[in-house]
Amino acid sequence: MTKTPMILVVEDDVWLAEQHVRTLRAAGFQAEHVPHALAAIDSVDTKHPAAILLDVFLSGPNAFTLLHELQSHSDLAAIPVILCTNSAEDIAGEDLEAYGITQMLDKTTMKPTDLVAAIKKVLP
Amino acid sequence: MKGSVGDSGNKQDGSLFGDLSFVVTAAHELKAPLALVRQLSLALEADNISLADREKMIRQIVLTSERALRLTTDLSRSSRLEDSLFDVEPLNPHQICEDVAHELAPLYAARGREIRVATRHRSHLVVANRDLLRRIMLSFGDNALHYAESDTPVELRAVACEGGSKIRLGVRDYGPAVPVDIWRRLESQLGTGTQALHARPGSSGLGLYVAGQFAAAMHGKIGATRHRDGATFFVDLTASTQLSLL
Repeated sequence: MTKTPMILVVEDDVWLAEQHVRTLRAAGFQAEHVPHALAAIDSVDTKHPAAILLDVFLSGPNAFTLLHELQSHSDLAAIPVILCTNSAEDIAGEDLEAYGITQMLDKTTMKPTDLVAAIKKVLP
Repeated sequence: MKGSVGDSGNKQDGSLFGDLSFVVTAAHELKAPLALVRQLSLALEADNISLADREKMIRQIVLTSERALRLTTDLSRSSRLEDSLFDVEPLNPHQICEDVAHELAPLYAARGREIRVATRHRSHLVVANRDLLRRIMLSFGDNALHYAESDTPVELRAVACEGGSKIRLGVRDYGPAVPVDIWRRLESQLGTGTQALHARPGSSGLGLYVAGQFAAAMHGKIGATRHRDGATFFVDLTASTQLSLL
């Protein structure tokens, strides 16, 4: 039996995170929410997510701290990450390539279906 | 307690909305609540949402909209400060704290948080404009909501300082300490810069800027104190020489 992929939602806006989790679960994924990068690092170790949906500006260390941490471990570097941000227009695609990020969602224009589509795109 | 900052809410050059960066910052800060309202509204179109979730989401839309509207109202109020006359009067600072806590309580409750007024201390009255002071405290309260840990209440308090010549009204939150480098940036911008403080992304740099404007209009100043477990944002205003009625 195939295990349902678990998606880790790293988002400091609790209501938006709830919405992402609702959308992902309705699409058949497992989904869990953590509010900041430090909790995400712990959760990656214990939950072994299939993909991470990552807000950029977080309380305390921001998304790039988490990305650096992931990149520093060969097993974790393989976890696909999707950035989800209000500042998509300010983030250059080439800045993300170093982290292996291929998907970025713009919170101001995305639809719930875009979230599911992006996750499906990065999963093997 | 360390890193106490007593920054002034300096008056700007009067060209509040002539400053493009200010407009950009305002637009940026309104993106988050608007994006959330949009996401929730789109989600409400789906058929598979339970009645309980639907009601919760509608409540979230209302509260998020109200928060964004508070910011826009503050912005328009701040743009008229120099043209408008407003009354200052002796006010009961504890009552202001109670009013603000009461107004923010539904938003806090919906986020699973608590806001309360710290144990009452006898203090002098404060000379202020009721509406501006209320808006300053609401702005601090809005900021604290997004930073405080869920298991600790945010506290509003009013205390006398500077030998009783000033009244300090503050909002204390409990959460992870703000990194020193971020705090230094805050110190340099508090009340004068409009950049959002990204280590506290839910917080509003713009809100603090406007609070600084309001405080300066009442001959007061805003400031902040960094704690190991959070922060206090405060406004210092002149104490009334009138006998305390508290």
